[in-house]
Amino acid sequence: MAGLIILGFFLIVALAAPLLADSRGLSPVGATGGVLDPPSLDYPMGTDDLGRSVLTLTIWGSRISLMVGFFATALSMVIGAVIGIAAGYYGGWRETAMMRFTDWFLVIPFLPLAIVLASILGRSLFNIILVIGITSWPGTARLVRAQTLSVKERPYVERARALGAGDWHLITRHILPNVFPLIFANTILVVAIAILSETTLSFLGLGDPLRISWGTILEFAFNGGAASRGAWWWLLPPGVAIVLVVLAFTMCGYALDEILNPRLRRR
Amino acid sequence: MSRWRSLVAAGAAAATIAGLTFGGAAAQTPSPSGSAAGKLTFTIGDDNDLDSMNPFVAVEAPAFQIFFLTYDFLVNLSQEDLSPSPGLAESWDQSDDGLTWTFQIRDDATWHDGQPVTAHDVEYTYNRILEEEQGSFIDYISLIDTIEVPDDQTVVITTKEPTLQLLTALVFILPEHIWKDISTEEAGTFENNPPVGSGPFKVVEWEKGQFYRMESVPEYWGGAPRIDEFVYRIFNNEDALVQALRAGEVDFADSLNANPFNSLKETTGITTHEANIPSFDEIGFNVGANDTIPDADGHPALLDVRVRQAMAHAVDKQVILDRVLQGYGTIGTTIVPPFSAAYHYEPAEEDLFQFDLEEANRILDEAGYEDTDGDDVREMPDGGEPLRFRYFVRSENNSTVQTSQFVQDWFNQIGIATEVEALDDTTLTDAIFEGKYDMFHWGWFPDPDPDFILSIFTCGQRPPDGIWSDSFYCDEEYDRMYQEQKTVADVAERAQVIFEMQKKVYEDAPYIVLYYDANLQAYRSDRWTGFLNQPEPDGDLLSGYGNYTFVNLRPVTKGAAADEEEGGSAFTWVWVGLVAGPLLLVAVALLIRRRKGEEDRA
Repeated sequence: MAGLIILGFFLIVALAAPLLADSRGLSPVGATGGVLDPPSLDYPMGTDDLGRSVLTLTIWGSRISLMVGFFATALSMVIGAVIGIAAGYYGGWRETAMMRFTDWFLVIPFLPLAIVLASILGRSLFNIILVIGITSWPGTARLVRAQTLSVKERPYVERARALGAGDWHLITRHILPNVFPLIFANTILVVAIAILSETTLSFLGLGDPLRISWGTILEFAFNGGAASRGAWWWLLPPGVAIVLVVLAFTMCGYALDEILNPRLRRR
Repeated sequence: MSRWRSLVAAGAAAATIAGLTFGGAAAQTPSPSGSAAGKLTFTIGDDNDLDSMNPFVAVEAPAFQIFFLTYDFLVNLSQEDLSPSPGLAESWDQSDDGLTWTFQIRDDATWHDGQPVTAHDVEYTYNRILEEEQGSFIDYISLIDTIEVPDDQTVVITTKEPTLQLLTALVFILPEHIWKDISTEEAGTFENNPPVGSGPFKVVEWEKGQFYRMESVPEYWGGAPRIDEFVYRIFNNEDALVQALRAGEVDFADSLNANPFNSLKETTGITTHEANIPSFDEIGFNVGANDTIPDADGHPALLDVRVRQAMAHAVDKQVILDRVLQGYGTIGTTIVPPFSAAYHYEPAEEDLFQFDLEEANRILDEAGYEDTDGDDVREMPDGGEPLRFRYFVRSENNSTVQTSQFVQDWFNQIGIATEVEALDDTTLTDAIFEGKYDMFHWGWFPDPDPDFILSIFTCGQRPPDGIWSDSFYCDEEYDRMYQEQKTVADVAERAQVIFEMQKKVYEDAPYIVLYYDANLQAYRSDRWTGFLNQPEPDGDLLSGYGNYTFVNLRPVTKGAAADEEEGGSAFTWVWVGLVAGPLLLVAVALLIRRRKGEEDRA
């Protein structure tokens, strides 16, 4: 519940960003504050080294961070579900091939792979989504495959097959609806990871430097001398926002998992 | 007996734990191996890595720092005012017709491997550069006609025209006995690690991306350096560098950004210095790489001088100076920095590209660049290709990233879209060399004599044959003036030609010179003294064009430093004793025990 409230809050902030803060405040050209001003009435969270309000940056940053989180997760879910269902449903050598492929992605450490991909593809928002999407699907694939294997053996699937239902019909009408709750619960958990990944990659300078996300704010603070100048107000707002959002997603994810995951339900 | 043994064991365990924590603390600071206690080490921290130790290839400043300490020039630049002063040549003489120069080579200079430096090395170096047209140095000595060596200590050079250039030629003299084995083809890939030179320091270790370490050469002809070694450490983050300086892990922080620099101003024991250096940052454009590189892919709109001029109108240099540099520098205009006071040309007020977005829009409208598809980005008059430029900045330099945020905003307002990408220096150099870029932000550190910075806009410097041109600018009239200024001996007369050249480059705008920045330096003044600004009074503390500071540098007071050194080593010995002593005892005890066991078995 607490998770939902926090999540709702950040969603509203992200959607209402244009109402909450003028987007001109994102460009240093339109910035009006001084260099690293501490929090004041005009700038409730202080300013960065280019005179921009950290509050404005954090509000607008929520858009990019959440957006990358959602799109990357969607991508990861689609890849994971397709491979998981296909492997579980068809079985045989196709399953072996697909699952070894999945294992291969699973054993490669996420961060180095993501860094290599991001530096090859270049620094853009789309690429960041792509990188996170194609590095975070193997867990989902394994989960979906396991569930597919169990659904596939159920009597009604067998009956449908006896009545002459094709693969496509079976997958879309019988398997997918039954693994969907699991995918959904998993999605919520992956969003949290995706947002963290976006922050990590942006902080390492692999994100799009001109799209303000929480990660890029942290990167600017890190490279702009926030620590040596003692400008805590530059680091804290994006940092706390990330922690809260990730926490909220995780809480929601666990709650849903408990409701939807058949294994947990039985307990 | 048994009690004694358990006591030792406990002692050993305690010592091991202590040793572990101690060792752990030491391991956190990656320090170059071999910097043993007792050596007087001066450590510099910086955020820039060197690219190569081969003088024919290197372009990065840290590489030149190595060359300045490893090699000598024929004629040095004096520390006080950069005037010609004795280098490998003790003295020199120009004939009355101005065409023949005679240099007397000093007889006390030796290469690091013990061989003597002779006039033949000078002849060899100059001849090789001339024959192979080595782009890094050719323009310094291109007027040389013949070089003769009557004896080991004399070089006689005749020039095609009278010139004073030989006295300001920053050509590192290389040892013939090393380089004669390197063929012309190999010269581009030769690692030259470690470089053998005749300077006061030699490289003993280089870990790419981490550090390099140089040892002093006591036999140096200019006197033995007072420090034993010099370490250059590379920091990826300036906060880390600032903390390292505060903690005393480094003694000197070079080329800082404004924020970290400001944070050091009030620190006791640390002195900050805004060094006056001949430096500028520019936004450069690809104005014609296709002329020399067929598969270059620069944006065609950038070939149009009107587009570049419009963009020059759309950059508010004052804002960048105030906000990005926080005022540490002056507004940039032309390519010869005010540092070279006699040669710097400042355009008249009415000739300046003033910040004026309306004027920029008007120029683009007039030139036929209009937004035909309503996406707020202008299109080319005929082909319809949008004015969308790749804009490369340096991931190693935060100022360039920050500047791009301003520039992108202004360019958007004149209907020019930019795709900013932060590249590391090596990748950016490659992109420029292949002509695969539209615009970039980088900087230059020109010589005090303007010849070098003027040379980078000559046609001959364009890659792949040349090395220094990063705009692919080429203009016949400019090249003619460039040759002319080499041969004018009178400063005022030469300045007139050089003014014209700067004016031309300013108007053609292959570069938008953003600012002339100061070099922000900070050092542990509680530990080190003997820095020699080059030039006096406010030049670079590390002597930008020589080894003066490094030879002269010493601890604050010899006595105090020695005490500290002793204290340091004594402290180390206590730890070594604490760890090693009990371990030794345990080892002995085990040995005895095993002996005993063997005896029992027997």
